[in-house]
Amino acid sequence: MTGVWRIPAALAALSFVGLAAAILGDGVWDWTCWAALSVPLAVCAVKLWRQWPG
Amino acid sequence: MTPASLRGWRLVHRWTSLICSANLLILCVTGLILVFHHEIQHMMGEDLDSSHTEGQARLPLQSLVDIARQADPALVPRLLSFDAEDKAVNYIYLGPPEERGFDLGRWVVLNGFTGANQMLKQPEETLTGFLLKLHVDLFTGFAGQMFVGVMGLLFVVSTVSGLVVYGPFMKKLAFGVLRFGRGTRIGNIDLHNLFGVATLVWAFVVGLTGAILSFSPLITGYWQKTELAALTARHPEPMTGSAVAIDRVAAAGLAAFPGKDLAFIAYPGNEYAGSRHFGVMVRGHTELTQRLLSVALVDAETGVVAETAGTPWYMTVLMLSGPFHFGDYGGLPLQIIWALFTIVTGVVTVTGFVVWLKRPRARTAPAGSAAGRGNAQGKLGSKA
Repeated sequence: MTGVWRIPAALAALSFVGLAAAILGDGVWDWTCWAALSVPLAVCAVKLWRQWPG
Repeated sequence: MTPASLRGWRLVHRWTSLICSANLLILCVTGLILVFHHEIQHMMGEDLDSSHTEGQARLPLQSLVDIARQADPALVPRLLSFDAEDKAVNYIYLGPPEERGFDLGRWVVLNGFTGANQMLKQPEETLTGFLLKLHVDLFTGFAGQMFVGVMGLLFVVSTVSGLVVYGPFMKKLAFGVLRFGRGTRIGNIDLHNLFGVATLVWAFVVGLTGAILSFSPLITGYWQKTELAALTARHPEPMTGSAVAIDRVAAAGLAAFPGKDLAFIAYPGNEYAGSRHFGVMVRGHTELTQRLLSVALVDAETGVVAETAGTPWYMTVLMLSGPFHFGDYGGLPLQIIWALFTIVTGVVTVTGFVVWLKRPRARTAPAGSAAGRGNAQGKLGSKA
């Protein structure tokens, strides 16, 4: 896999895991879902925060 | 990928995105609020009454049906539905005796423990009802719902084509680079690429499930006309006597599927039942299995189960599309995550549109000139 796809592929895999987890059960499944789905949002937020002009 | 096929994918991405962008923004804004529809209904005092004491027994279903009929004695019960989340809430549809569908009658909502009747407000009378109608069909009924479904499909194609054009564009750029100092267009392209690729799987799943839900009348109708019709056709006997009590029918249906809950019971003659058989639909308890329906045909005159069946794969896909579109299967944290993803999708939509608005227009610069090179670079950067 080339460098272009490394991070998007990881975020996609985390998104799939996160979306599927909470439908499979409660408790640890919910926590897995919240944690995994938070990563793409956190990446967006951190990248925006660090490169925001001014 | 050849330059020609990349150009083709860019065209697909540009036009699928542009066509669905206005509707997508409406869906994002209404969906963002609808994620919290339970909380909003609670805040506005629009909760359905589910009050009951610990250990209180449910009223017999026949009592609920009798109470519901008082709402309009000219109509007869055609379907009882049981809320999966709130066990106290029962929906009863009353219609004319010959009606198979759900157009001419009315719904009555009862507390299954107390029998308290609660008036269902028209969608336009509540904030969440208004937003849901706008989200689902733009207040234009079936045609609007199909339109929104097609927009959903275009959005799905837009996400896939966006992924295809992302790779070549990012070949010489670091992941997540945001060149805000390089002008409006470049800044918007970078933001569009970062937010789009980071949330692509979520957007794809929510878009696809939304389209599937939009086409639910067609999918359910197909099931009714094929497998369900074949099931009821194997039991064509007409009614000759009177029907047994609805509680006996429910018990027979549940006995056929041990450990399952009632989803709904359709009276004979309804589109989910036979001519003399009740259609008893049951589902499981968990987030996953409560979306998997099974059906038992129960003879209305004898109370005996005539045949049982599962639902076909496309009905399972339809049922499972609900949670993956609404984000209501992982508590409040997932609802908040869903809302944040919706906001990001809105940003992707707007930045994509800005990139298209600010597209380079000069097309006559001679090859090799600075303007020509800039234009080529601009086109390469065009994702919208």
